[in-house]
Amino acid sequence: MKHTTTAMVLVLAASAAIAEDKVTIEFAYPYSHLFDVTYEAMMPAFKEAHPNIEVKFRATYESYEDGTNTVLREAVAGNLPDVTMQGLNRQQPLVEKGIAQSLEPFIAAEADFEKDGYHEAMLSLSTFDGEVYGLPFSVSLPVGYYNMDILREGGIEELPRTWDDVIAACKTMRANGIDNPIFWGWNITGNWFMQALLWSQDKAIVENGNVTLDSPETLVALEQMQEIFTECEMQNLEWKAALASFSAGDIGMMFWSTSALGAVERSQGDFELVTGPFPGFDGKPMGLPAGGNAAMLTSTSDDPKVREAAWTWLKYITSGEGAAEVAKTTGYMPPNKAANEIILADFYEQNPNKQTAVDQLPLLRDWLAYPGDNGLAITQVIYDSIERVVTGDATDMKELQQEMVEEVADLLPNG
Amino acid sequence: MAVLDAGAITQATAGNREARTAWGLTAPALLLMVLILLVPVVVAGVLSFTNYSLGNASFDWVGAENYERLFTRSTYEKMFIATFTYVVTVVPISVGLGLGAALLLHSLGRIGDIYKTIYFLPVMATLLAMAIAWEFMLHPTIGMVNRTLAMACGTWLEVVPFVANGCAGGFPLWLGDRDYAIWVVCFIGIWQGFGFNMVLYLAGLTAVHRELYHAAEMDGAKSAWERFRLVTWPALGPTTVFVVTISCIRAFQVFDTVEAFWPQGGGPNKSAYVMMFAIFEKGVQQNLIGMGSAITMLFLAFVMSLTLIQRWLVERKVHYG
Repeated sequence: MKHTTTAMVLVLAASAAIAEDKVTIEFAYPYSHLFDVTYEAMMPAFKEAHPNIEVKFRATYESYEDGTNTVLREAVAGNLPDVTMQGLNRQQPLVEKGIAQSLEPFIAAEADFEKDGYHEAMLSLSTFDGEVYGLPFSVSLPVGYYNMDILREGGIEELPRTWDDVIAACKTMRANGIDNPIFWGWNITGNWFMQALLWSQDKAIVENGNVTLDSPETLVALEQMQEIFTECEMQNLEWKAALASFSAGDIGMMFWSTSALGAVERSQGDFELVTGPFPGFDGKPMGLPAGGNAAMLTSTSDDPKVREAAWTWLKYITSGEGAAEVAKTTGYMPPNKAANEIILADFYEQNPNKQTAVDQLPLLRDWLAYPGDNGLAITQVIYDSIERVVTGDATDMKELQQEMVEEVADLLPNG
Repeated sequence: MAVLDAGAITQATAGNREARTAWGLTAPALLLMVLILLVPVVVAGVLSFTNYSLGNASFDWVGAENYERLFTRSTYEKMFIATFTYVVTVVPISVGLGLGAALLLHSLGRIGDIYKTIYFLPVMATLLAMAIAWEFMLHPTIGMVNRTLAMACGTWLEVVPFVANGCAGGFPLWLGDRDYAIWVVCFIGIWQGFGFNMVLYLAGLTAVHRELYHAAEMDGAKSAWERFRLVTWPALGPTTVFVVTISCIRAFQVFDTVEAFWPQGGGPNKSAYVMMFAIFEKGVQQNLIGMGSAITMLFLAFVMSLTLIQRWLVERKVHYG
């Protein structure tokens, strides 16, 4: 509602200011519960720096999947926004379908692009066929959220380092009368934690255009999930309900993306919240998938002024002060050196909970896209399968893996 | 002869003109119907034999593959189970409650208007907004429903096994539990829908002639039940057929609650994966237009046959002209 009002005000302001040669660009982003505050914090400084650019916010996407979908539909209907924020693993289909545009011409025109803090490793998340198509805006990694009050009450002193530790902690807590020891965020975008458990074993979910769900590593991942769900007797909470429960102080341990940290802290009840590194199989995970989103240029306008304005906005939100707001308002890390090292120098010291994900940065791996047109449907297959483990509908993991492989094969381009 | 012929011709031209005017007058309606109803149905029918994906330039013909999947995959089996569970539960209960409420209100007079408003409120409220309110109430730990149930703990109410179990091991997750999810959706469907049926029955009741009751009483139908069985129920026949058909179609169309509760997946284990949601998920969320169209065609077939049955019943069985 706030955004509709903002948008309406902006439209009015824009129409009143045509005489002053204002340029209006349209923009859409996902997850309003995480990012509303971020963009609100950014806007005043942006308006001051670029008074002739009006940013019109479109309705937010509910999730990354919804975002991709909306853009695909808008491409058919011919009303694409100028800039859109897309999940890191949803960029590829938009590039393949020619909806997202290469940013190389703009980058070539920038004199000190490197100096603005964009560096190779982060840009690689959005580079396809040697060209940059997106500027990463926020990067997240899975972490553990711990309610220390509940952990202490349940007799746990040390944060778990492996999944076996987690299960042992669950049992101790249950024995000490804690009803709801854990929420393991399997349902985050449907496939991210699957990729997290695979990368933990240094296995990619897509190799040479093949989905590797038939690998022994997948079976290990599924069995590990089953063990966590059954041994901990985890409740099957919808993720929004789970975040609400955790914030209210009802859940002891929550494994989720660091991105929600800002939102959780804002609605946090009276307890001590500590984040810890994502547990692994034996010791530390060998890799973890990068979550988050990137800004992509999808403008269909021929007007160089609009395109230039879109680029200015794109650059503003992903570098310098703009990017620093990401860290300040959410739990995401800005994928921008300058923002991380200069502007946020003492920020992480004051916010140790947000430091956890930064410490895990060496483990950062690609959040992989599934080949072909059916990426969203493949994600749904993974989601449905894991859900069957959570609800106890599937008990034989080998059988479940087989079913998953068959269903996914149907959806692959050569299937 | 000649005179007769001329008369016949004038009559024929007059008839022609009349027919032309008739066609001319119906043309806008016909055109609109063809354009916004029949053409999309035909397009969906054609697409259901392809693997078209939104945004692609072309598609391949896949024959009946989409339909074959529809009847062989376990996902769609869950879809049929969820849809029919919903229809079979919601239709009789919401029709029954609607009739019961209408009969009670009919006998109340003035004060009935207040109840009429109360029962009709959920119909007027947007189901989507209501679903969000329900979502808060049904939250497993901080929701109103489970908090209220928890108040029964430690009282004599614990003799009820459901309460005793809940107090010992936590009350149901409602939306997260595959044994409860579809029933929650059914409950909300009934809560939301029966007020509408009640209004239809109230209208039907006003059309029943008072004299029929007096006549029945004179013929020896003394009890209220007898009067209901012999007069009210048969007189409400046409209304009932209409109410049941409308309720069936509305039940097949259930979507808002499922979408609001489980935007991804359609309930725990797809236990609330109703047809409309499947169409939305395949065709809109995942861009699998071919599969979405196939489910749509099946959905149309169901609704179509319901409408035909209704027409047949109205014309044959329950007409007291």
